[in-house]
Amino acid sequence: MTTGTNTNRKALLGTADPPLILDIKGNSLDDGPGIRSVVFFKGCPLSCVWCHNPESKKRGPEISFSPDDCVRCNACMDACPAGALSGENPFYIDREKCDLCFRCIPACPSGALEQVGREMTEKGILDQVIRDKVFFDASGGGVTFSGGEPTLHMPFLSGLIQSAAGAGLHTLLETCGLFDREAFDTLVLPHIHTVYFDIKIVDAALHRQYCGASNAKILENFRHLAALAAEGRLDLLPRVPLVPGITATEANLSAIAALLLENNIPFVKLLAYNPLWTQKPLKIGVKDKFSSEKASQDWIPSQDLDRMERIFRKKGIEITD
Amino acid sequence: MFQSPLSENRPSPGLSPTHILVKVLLKIMAACFNLRPSLRKSLESDTGWIDYSAAIKTRSGSVSACIRFSLGRASVTGTAPADADICLVFKSDRQVRRFLTASPTEQIYMILKNDFYTRGNAACLNLFVYCISLLLNKQQVKMMARERLKDRKQVLKSSPGPGTGLSEALKARAEERLTGNREDPGVRYLEDPYLPEFSLQDFPRLAGFLDSHFETRAEVCPELPELMTEWHRKNGYETDPGGKAWNPVLRKGHCYKYIMENRRPFIHANDLIAGTTTTKEVGVVVYPEGHGTMIWGELFTVPHRSLNPYDVSPGTREILHHKVFPYWANRNFKEWVREKYDNPLCQQIDERFAVYFDWKSVTISHTIPDFPKILRLGTRGIIAEIEDEMRGDTDEDRTATRQAMILCLEGLETYSRNLAAQASGEISGTKDPARRAELENLSRICTRVVSGPASTLEEAVNAIWITWVGVHMESTNAGMSLGRLDQWLQPYFIRDMEKISDPEGQKRYIRHAVELIGCFMMRCTDHLPLTPDFANYYFGGSSSDQAITLGGVTPEGDDGINDMTYIFLKVTEMLGLRDPNVNARFTPGKNSDTYLKRLCEVNLITTATPSIHNDRAIWRSLEQYNYAMEDLRNWSATGCVEPTLSGRHMGHTNFQMISLVAALEMALNNGRHPLMDWELGPRTGQVEEGAFSSFDRFFKAFEDQMRFLIDQSIRYNELLAEAHQELRPTPLLSTLISDCIKTGKDVTRGGARYNSSGAACIGLADITDSMLVIKKLVFDDRAVTFRELKEAIDGNFEKNPGLHAMVTRKVPLFGSGDPGAVAMANRITRFVHGTYNSYTNYRGGKYTAGFWSMSNHVAYGTLCGALPSGRLKGKPFTPGLTPQPGASDSLLDNLRDVAALEPENMSNNIAFNVKVVPAADESRERTVENMAAYVASYFQLGGMQMQMNVVTSDMLRDAMAHPENYRNLLVRISGYNAYFVTLNRDMQRELIERAEYRI
Repeated sequence: MTTGTNTNRKALLGTADPPLILDIKGNSLDDGPGIRSVVFFKGCPLSCVWCHNPESKKRGPEISFSPDDCVRCNACMDACPAGALSGENPFYIDREKCDLCFRCIPACPSGALEQVGREMTEKGILDQVIRDKVFFDASGGGVTFSGGEPTLHMPFLSGLIQSAAGAGLHTLLETCGLFDREAFDTLVLPHIHTVYFDIKIVDAALHRQYCGASNAKILENFRHLAALAAEGRLDLLPRVPLVPGITATEANLSAIAALLLENNIPFVKLLAYNPLWTQKPLKIGVKDKFSSEKASQDWIPSQDLDRMERIFRKKGIEITD
Repeated sequence: MFQSPLSENRPSPGLSPTHILVKVLLKIMAACFNLRPSLRKSLESDTGWIDYSAAIKTRSGSVSACIRFSLGRASVTGTAPADADICLVFKSDRQVRRFLTASPTEQIYMILKNDFYTRGNAACLNLFVYCISLLLNKQQVKMMARERLKDRKQVLKSSPGPGTGLSEALKARAEERLTGNREDPGVRYLEDPYLPEFSLQDFPRLAGFLDSHFETRAEVCPELPELMTEWHRKNGYETDPGGKAWNPVLRKGHCYKYIMENRRPFIHANDLIAGTTTTKEVGVVVYPEGHGTMIWGELFTVPHRSLNPYDVSPGTREILHHKVFPYWANRNFKEWVREKYDNPLCQQIDERFAVYFDWKSVTISHTIPDFPKILRLGTRGIIAEIEDEMRGDTDEDRTATRQAMILCLEGLETYSRNLAAQASGEISGTKDPARRAELENLSRICTRVVSGPASTLEEAVNAIWITWVGVHMESTNAGMSLGRLDQWLQPYFIRDMEKISDPEGQKRYIRHAVELIGCFMMRCTDHLPLTPDFANYYFGGSSSDQAITLGGVTPEGDDGINDMTYIFLKVTEMLGLRDPNVNARFTPGKNSDTYLKRLCEVNLITTATPSIHNDRAIWRSLEQYNYAMEDLRNWSATGCVEPTLSGRHMGHTNFQMISLVAALEMALNNGRHPLMDWELGPRTGQVEEGAFSSFDRFFKAFEDQMRFLIDQSIRYNELLAEAHQELRPTPLLSTLISDCIKTGKDVTRGGARYNSSGAACIGLADITDSMLVIKKLVFDDRAVTFRELKEAIDGNFEKNPGLHAMVTRKVPLFGSGDPGAVAMANRITRFVHGTYNSYTNYRGGKYTAGFWSMSNHVAYGTLCGALPSGRLKGKPFTPGLTPQPGASDSLLDNLRDVAALEPENMSNNIAFNVKVVPAADESRERTVENMAAYVASYFQLGGMQMQMNVVTSDMLRDAMAHPENYRNLLVRISGYNAYFVTLNRDMQRELIERAEYRI
């Protein structure tokens, strides 16, 4: 497993270059209030083992292959100059040979082969999102920036948030919390309406083990945003992904509850583990250990969920919908 | 230019062994009738022998035989004579042999799929089937039972145990109820307009009725056709007893009066409403001059069929077979046209099922009577108005028409009086003092109405019901609609409430009003349309489609939401009936969010009703016709969704169902229709011969074919209209549609102030997608040649998985949010609308186009090959104009594209289905808010109509296998509602395969 994500300051500052966008998903009801469009950025400074969007980890473009969609017409093989495609390959694409020329993509009639990550301009993103404004307005929704980690592209993100807000859209950022604070304060904070902040693991060693980086900066950033929220300068919602055996342990959840109370944030959103992602790594040629484990294939039983919620409720922390 | 079916042109290869088989079987049949006295007796009608001949042949002539019944004797000949009353023409010997061993259901599919077609009198076909059934009904019934068992095993295989908690989850929906704000200015008395305090358990009377609704088997009722036949046998049909030609309107007036005076007045047990449409608990009404004889062939088997079985008592069978049907075999709409116009091409096409179905072969009915008028004036007042008009008018025709109107009103009055007498007659035999009081009250009510004006809510509701029964004794129970009952009843509710001063008394009265409206809606379920088994597969599960319209604005343009609006919604929520079909109007900028949210909540609880219309888009669609604004504001949904200007408009809004896709298939085949194997349309060019050098040329070929089909279907409608004027004028209805009294013209002859005829055009999304694929892949990108695409279509894409993947994945389809797709859909609707609009109907109004499909998107799909859109052979089209499930993952793309269609081209309205599923962990409040947000946004973008099915495919699958847990599971097909478990399998599967969006 690679943990080679660079977390030094320079890397976190981001660039003004257009980032790669994985997808813009319309009609989301799970990523903030109302009906929303979610812009997924590619690239993340963390590398969580349970990541539901494994294709969002790397910053560069990738190719994915969905065996279920393939109609075995072999048109892609004729189009591939590198000879990287064959049903004999374990995941169809020989990623050693593939040089990401993407000539197979238009040749594939069924969409089984897809390019993951496309450059999009601020205007391109906004044009697509704004089409649904009438739905946002009727439902109190708006646009959500998610990923990956949008703050890896802080200047770009800043411009995007400002134009979206300028167009009358409610803006929401979903972040893993690992970002450069100063850049955030100047570029994002003045413009963003709401931040959903993921808190995964409080224990530093475990965080490094499961998320591939230290959590020191994340916790520091959380404290900072919590203070701003307490002053009413920011609408902040901490979110905890419940991953059985990793984040959803008694010890970790208690520690998170304590952290929230310390920072005067008496509410939290719990994200129940969804096992439907476990086929996704294979599409981009990744066979990791966690997604193939038996335990990763199951939903959390509702009595366990109740128990987890009680850990927070006991301390007077409200579970939001 | 047009050729007859191929049968006429093929050389005879000589007689085949099948021929001998057929001849032997017919001889056995003849021998049975000749030798067995009981069978011979069945060839006798009340007035003499039933003579007819039935022939069986193949297109090539390899089989050709005929059985003739004459003067009570049967004989067989080895050739099919040209003058046989009915001839079954089979594609080939193979189909004949299959037919001989097929079950009744398989035979229906054979006729749908054009394995054979019939020429000649359809009533005689049914008589022939009846005669076969006389011999074989025991075997037929066994066969049907076997079929049912096999089917049951099959569905149980896929879903052996009932799904856990699914049906319970549905039932539990009604247990949680939101509270509402009192913000609508028209709501005067309801403290919480959502009335969350009430549930069905609070109304044992209604709960009992509902239970009986689900548990009672419908029964064919012979009362109406028997009375009709009696009167006509005595007084003549074509000529009066003096030998003078009858004025058809006057004849109808006399006959109607006789019916109303002699039908039995029933007060249904424990009911607050007097009168019934039939003599049965749930009756199937037989209209002999309409499609009544279609049930002739099934009189033995109809109780045993899988879909919508009805009971038929031996007595009823006797009456219908011996007394009624022989009299009407030639006196019905279809046969009248066949005889007078020599079975014209337009009729032949209709009877092949794959292209269009003209509803006038069954009925007109689709309109909204002026109920406020009868409430205001009573029959006495209306008669006075008619007499006023008669004074000084010497015109014979107008006078006869007005006389007929008076006769009808008198008949209605008599029926009402008979009900009053019946109610008081029942008092003495009733022990329960509460019920005695109710009967006394009913007797009082029926004495006052319908002859006089209504003065209380109870009187008004009873007057509407009695009138409703009345119009159904005049024309078929299919699509006749009730209109804006909340608007029309509110004044009576207010008047009653004003008389009550104490708050407790007011509360009690509101409860009573809910119960009364509940009784009314339940009463509307006391009859079913006569559905031949064939129609179960062609139409499927439709009841009478008695649309009620709620909400919107008043004729003056003010917010129309009132107490009665919410009372009707409460009843709709508690009963969850498929029929009446509840439609809600929403006027953006006038109607409140509270109201919209309540519509969504009722939709969520009932899973499928009401359907919701955007007033502003409807008005925009109707602007072109110069209707008065106050009348536009007063529109009501008719049958499924179609707009009628209440009480002033005869819009026969479902004059036909037409498949747009048939025209595409014909354009792809140079005018030949593949399934019918018929060189039917104009020669517009052969794809294989490179006839189309541009997309526009191909589009023109489609237009030419469509124009041809529309033209033919309209011709048939006009001929059937003439049949209606002769066979079934509707003078009672005419008194309730302005300006018939004034003009002295029956509504079937153009007496209404506004006239139009509305079509339902089916397959818009399939056509649009197919055109998009042809345009992009063949002409724009040149990714495939037209010939290759055509070859793939002809082979059902079986050898072209790559091409199939390309057409389904690589072309932005209608509903994907692509402006090009919307432009294509608008191009098609503009053309279709323009074509209809170029015709003026026999009543002087315009033809209009709508894009909804009832259930025919399934049947027409069955009869259609693969399409350029990638839809495979035999699969259903999409319901109404709903985008296909693969168009987009986002519901918003669907909503945006449908909303972008130009209402001007869709003035007979649309049906846009959306299947939404609330997330299990979402609160009721948020789910309802989300639903309301979708509707509000869609309307803001210009959308006309939308209807939500709030069910999961898992629930539907579970219901398919375990219908016993889902007797009341309501689904919206396309415009109308049905109980899912009563639908045929194809339709059930279509509902399951619809796109499902989480909300």
